[in-house]
Amino acid sequence: MRLDHQRRYAEDEVVDAVVIGTGAGGAPVLARLAAAGLKVVALEAGPNFEPAAFAFDETLADEIYWTEERLSGGSTPEAFGANNSGTGVGGSTLHWGAFVPRPDRRDFALRTETGEGCDWPLTLDDLLPFYARVEDFIGVSGAPDYPWDPGRRYPLPPVPRNGPAEIMALACGRTGLRAADAPAAVVSRDFQQADGPARAACIQCGYCHQGCRTGAKTSMDVTYLPYAVRHGAEIRPESVVHGLERDRIGRITAVIYRSGGVDRRQACGAVYLCAGAVETPRLLLNLGLANGSGQVGRNYMGHVATQVWGSFPDEIRMNRGYPSALITEDMVRPEGADFAGGYLVQSLGVQPLTLANAVARSRGLWGEALHACLAGYNHLAGIGINGETLPCDENRLTLVDETDALGLAKARVSFGYGENERRLNAHATALMTDLWKAAGAADIWVLERVAHTIGTCRMGRDGDSAVVDPYGRSFEIDNLWISDGSTFPSSLAANPALTIMALGLRSAEAFLKRD
Amino acid sequence: MSHPASLPDLLVGLHFLGGSARSWEPVAAHLATPCLALDLPGFGAAADIAGFDVAAMADHVAARIAAAAPGRFALAGHSMGAKVALALARRAEDGDPALRGLARLVLVAGSPPSPEPIPEDRRAAMLAWIDADPATRAQEARAFIRQNVGAPLAPEAEEDAAVADVLRAAPAAWRAWIESGANEDWCARVGVLRTPALILAGSEDADLGPVAQRALTVPHLAHHRIAVLDGAGHLLPLERPEAVAGLIAEHLAADDPAPSPPPEIPAAYAALIASERVNPRLRAVLTERAQPDDPAYAPTFLDPVELALLRAVVARVVPRAGFDIATRLDARLASGASDGWRFAALPPDGEAYRAGLRSLDAASREEGTPFLARDGAGQDALLKAAQAGRLTVPAMDRPGLDAERLCLWFEDLRADAVRSYLAHPIALARMGFSGIGAGGTGETDADGLAKGLPGFARASGPPEPWEPRAVIREVEDPVR
Repeated sequence: MRLDHQRRYAEDEVVDAVVIGTGAGGAPVLARLAAAGLKVVALEAGPNFEPAAFAFDETLADEIYWTEERLSGGSTPEAFGANNSGTGVGGSTLHWGAFVPRPDRRDFALRTETGEGCDWPLTLDDLLPFYARVEDFIGVSGAPDYPWDPGRRYPLPPVPRNGPAEIMALACGRTGLRAADAPAAVVSRDFQQADGPARAACIQCGYCHQGCRTGAKTSMDVTYLPYAVRHGAEIRPESVVHGLERDRIGRITAVIYRSGGVDRRQACGAVYLCAGAVETPRLLLNLGLANGSGQVGRNYMGHVATQVWGSFPDEIRMNRGYPSALITEDMVRPEGADFAGGYLVQSLGVQPLTLANAVARSRGLWGEALHACLAGYNHLAGIGINGETLPCDENRLTLVDETDALGLAKARVSFGYGENERRLNAHATALMTDLWKAAGAADIWVLERVAHTIGTCRMGRDGDSAVVDPYGRSFEIDNLWISDGSTFPSSLAANPALTIMALGLRSAEAFLKRD
Repeated sequence: MSHPASLPDLLVGLHFLGGSARSWEPVAAHLATPCLALDLPGFGAAADIAGFDVAAMADHVAARIAAAAPGRFALAGHSMGAKVALALARRAEDGDPALRGLARLVLVAGSPPSPEPIPEDRRAAMLAWIDADPATRAQEARAFIRQNVGAPLAPEAEEDAAVADVLRAAPAAWRAWIESGANEDWCARVGVLRTPALILAGSEDADLGPVAQRALTVPHLAHHRIAVLDGAGHLLPLERPEAVAGLIAEHLAADDPAPSPPPEIPAAYAALIASERVNPRLRAVLTERAQPDDPAYAPTFLDPVELALLRAVVARVVPRAGFDIATRLDARLASGASDGWRFAALPPDGEAYRAGLRSLDAASREEGTPFLARDGAGQDALLKAAQAGRLTVPAMDRPGLDAERLCLWFEDLRADAVRSYLAHPIALARMGFSGIGAGGTGETDADGLAKGLPGFARASGPPEPWEPRAVIREVEDPVR
């Protein structure tokens, strides 16, 4: 994005807030604080990209993935990098799938409902105004009548259904499930971004996960960040934070970061830590900060994101179009389920390397069987879920002895399914397999997968059991705020980014009213 | 095919442990090319010359070759002499002016660059008698010759001469080779040689027969041919001089190896890549990835034996690739690039690769055959066991992976191999992948966004006329 005309702040000028990270958590905060006239500087570890230069190539797309090594353990080790972790101005939204269902009301109070999981210290009603504002601002395309929330209206008509979406619609029709065009943060019509670029309608290239060249897909660098810069924010790319200076009473006074090979220091009145559910706790644990509750790093969650694939007689060419154009929320609370919570189902198209990686790793194919599978690429279509994961003591992020280039200890994330996830997974796998059979798929196979990075700095009502309050403010350091997926007390069945943005706006407005 | 600029005008011959220049005489008698057979320090007429390690022996030979000042020459090493020849070939390829004319290598029952696999009891026995009384020495020297042949040497005078050579050797030189020379690790230093090589192996050679040659010598040779002499033991130039001479003559006269062509991108797909539908950055990188491989690629992270193991594994994982994925993986390991995570149970990627490849080979040897000497089905059986987490890895003298970790590493390897495979345009062409054509160049607006890209006219339904079709049937040779 263009940063050449942005306002600059001196390092010794005490800005109102330094925002660490420019993804879905940091960008709305930066925009909202700048709009209120505050002096804000964002520090982004990754580079600043020109979207037009992305190249429709899954290997070149490495540049937008967070590839600093993390150690993945536990009984269901989760892949990072291209699977869920981004870098660059815009953070993970450069590669995200832009799938933006709203969470179900019941998911915020799962414990009250089922005795499992935990309740959030807020309700859907607290967030609804923010969801609507985010959707209007970033340009969400979706069904004109959303079957599971009749009053909901999306600002743009749905994106066209691609091959897998049509197959899933057929399968749902045959099995009696409701399906709808998915809420997608991809503009289906030309869209003038408020105080930002003109975003042309999606060209259906299918490369959402490799960086959108046209700006049709919402990423922070075409939405909240240009808005923030227009309102006086400064964004410093390639600036890796590794220290926080504090005064005698423990308040943060400056942020230390490495840029161009040298350490720099930005004086500030407050810090927004928005580095995601791995880097946020990793920095706090490395610095030994804000962890009086002992909760930093705990209750790490990834969504159950199992997929079912099958081969169809006609060419699908699933690389075309928005990858996840159809949704059903009928399984948010499946009838007769033997587990708490539920899951969303979406249609899936993926680019060749993403498929091949899954086929080689999880399906375990190699040799002639691998070649045969790849040769059938144009006939494949997938269906997948995003399912509730309960917080769990064993699932946590810790530091290991190995360090990165800046001397910070690397993170080890231990993650494994519990009984609830296993049951949910079995239910979903059977359902998706039935759907794909109903659609006439041959050679059906199941891909076990974990998606997203959630938890590790949970919000709550008190500092004994939570890291931040319901607005993201640290219980321990009163000018430290967190805005990213780390604050989620439970996973919710919905994909997290929309909620991260909504929480960010809500947090920023609380920040503006703070004492 | 190109012919050599001219045939080598000299064959330089290096003998085995206990041999001498004379060991090459029977072969030379059957060769039209003149033969300069040399005594290595401590042996034959050079019995009183010191300098018994591989580098010193190589210096000695280099000086003699420089003095002979041949034009184009071939270097033949037998057993111990082969290790010296490999060290010299590396010097030649690195530009040593004295060795500039080296055109062909001949490795006869060669001792490999890696430490030679001599069973410990045999090593001890060979050291025990070399300083004994003359009668014992004479008896053991004859036993040594007899142990190393597939059938008794004939005429008997041949055996007598060989025994006399053993007895003529300086005991210090004999001991030096057994105690250290054979154990010197030249694996990384020799690297991968470009010089065309002929490997001769006796089917009855217990330690340095065809299996050992495939496992330990072939990895160092970009261009090689193995010939196995049935029924022969270790002393091939004495046992089968005429056959050895014939094979050498053939090798010296053979054409220079032709570069192996990269897989040919089908014309329609090549036209798509060249068209306006593909953006210039992508076109450039696809073209770069389709460049021919260097068959003598010098590994920068793995050693040559590990690279050969990786090549063999990758050839089972992506058998139809048609290009060298292993070198790309080695380069990536050397770069330290990460995909953002690793299994917590595994060491860092590079260490995991080394340990995984060596563990696979150790498990393979435990079952009787080195991985590189197995056929495809034999390699597959081992990889299936690794994938299932039930491959038993024996204790090793270097870091290894247990069955559980080997399973995780093999998963990583599969993922890395397909990643490298799918980066190549041939893989995209084979599947008829149209995504690369959705972009084009368009124009970049003031906000850095691309305008005017074609995209896809429709997200579902039949393909557009320009979209490529999958390649139904491969006609190319699915080797490598």
